[in-house]
Amino acid sequence: MSQVQDAVFGIIAKEANIDVSKITLDSTLKDLEIASLDAVQIIFEIEDHFKITMPDRDPNFDTESVRGLVEAVEKLVAEKPAGDAPAAQG
Amino acid sequence: MGAITALGHTAAATWAALSEGRSGIGPIETIPTEQLNVKIAAEVHGFDPAAHIDNKKLPLLDRVSQFALIAAREAVAQSGLDFRVDGRGERSACIIGSGIGGEGTHNEQSKRFYGDKNPRVHPLTILRVMANAPACHIGIEYGLTGPTFAVVSACASANHAMSQAADMIRSGKVDFAVTGGTEACVTVTTMKAWEAMRVTADDTCRPFCKQRRGMVLGEGAGIFVFEAWEHAKARGATILAEFAGSGMTADAADMVFPSEVTVARAMQNALADAGLNPEDVGYINAHGTATPANDPTESKAIRRAFGAHADALAVSSTKSMHGHALGAAGAIELVAAIGALRHGILPPTANFIDPDPACDLDYVPNVAREKAVNAVLSNSFAFGGLNSVVALKKAG
Repeated sequence: MSQVQDAVFGIIAKEANIDVSKITLDSTLKDLEIASLDAVQIIFEIEDHFKITMPDRDPNFDTESVRGLVEAVEKLVAEKPAGDAPAAQG
Repeated sequence: MGAITALGHTAAATWAALSEGRSGIGPIETIPTEQLNVKIAAEVHGFDPAAHIDNKKLPLLDRVSQFALIAAREAVAQSGLDFRVDGRGERSACIIGSGIGGEGTHNEQSKRFYGDKNPRVHPLTILRVMANAPACHIGIEYGLTGPTFAVVSACASANHAMSQAADMIRSGKVDFAVTGGTEACVTVTTMKAWEAMRVTADDTCRPFCKQRRGMVLGEGAGIFVFEAWEHAKARGATILAEFAGSGMTADAADMVFPSEVTVARAMQNALADAGLNPEDVGYINAHGTATPANDPTESKAIRRAFGAHADALAVSSTKSMHGHALGAAGAIELVAAIGALRHGILPPTANFIDPDPACDLDYVPNVAREKAVNAVLSNSFAFGGLNSVVALKKAG
């Protein structure tokens, strides 16, 4: 599991109050019974953790599935200027 | 009736734009936008408070109170009432809704303290921020010494306030009320907070339409003078409409996802309170925020409340033109509802492209419609699951 994937799974588990073992790359937020208000909190925590801005309803990004979220974070982190390190784990 | 909105600085100018389907949504000009992802709103432009409010008094008024006072002056002037004679002030309520209160002042002073590291906060901050300030300024201007307070229920504030004012007149507690809603919420942090919730559109507001991308914030005020029917008749007042009834419910379920059943019940309660049958209603000014959740739920709720008559109803969301002015929304939308009754023109849902199969009513897309109506509803629903519907009848 990549570091990004690990962190995204951790954030989803914490925010949605579900066991991390339930989360797979193929899950959608809907499968995980994550309501819209929890979903926006997950996106906020991801943004805050990686210091990125997730796109809002951009057809090039899938923010409805776990795989989509992980891929979006990987892409945005790779595009970030060097020296802008992610926040410490905590 | 008085208003100040993105469509104009008076109720008449606001109605003129509504009846022509003109939208006041555009690029944000009143605040810095570098830190914003969503850079559009329905702002009140070309507004110089110093042209309306005395220099000595102005430091006491946040933009939210300035809007309320200016709209109140228009409304009171039109009513022809002098509240300072015949003990009228004592028999007058002043109930003004606001979702947030003096948010601009709160922003400025927080920036000064946290951002600029200035240890001194302006001494009038509290008086400008408090959500009851707009009601107090109106009361002071006209000597209204009866029940005076604010109603704070997010996007339902104005409808809740006006319903409360009408009930006070009905109960005999007062004979007059100055009531409505005001909001001045286009501030950097409020915009950021809405952005974070991911419910605001970055193009424009397209209620009930397939391509809708969410709400667009607006600002302004709508203020009305309510008067006991017999009293208004007896003095030969120009009666704009009859505030016939109201319906208020709470979903008591989810903070953001609306419930079709309780939304429908608010409409049914408003009809019952107004003594109206569903068939009497010709137009509904919808809450119509253009969010994914509201529009289909509101459409289903209208079907539930109106049955077969839903197909004969015209329903439009004027938020497509004046934006979503939160605690002022219901009051600004009452200008639209009264216009529909008085002029037989139904304001459209602007910016409409393609219909959404989940929204299957007649939304008066893009072009205003000439149609005489005798009764209308105006819907306002708030986060927290609060529903407030008002029913109006044609004066006569």
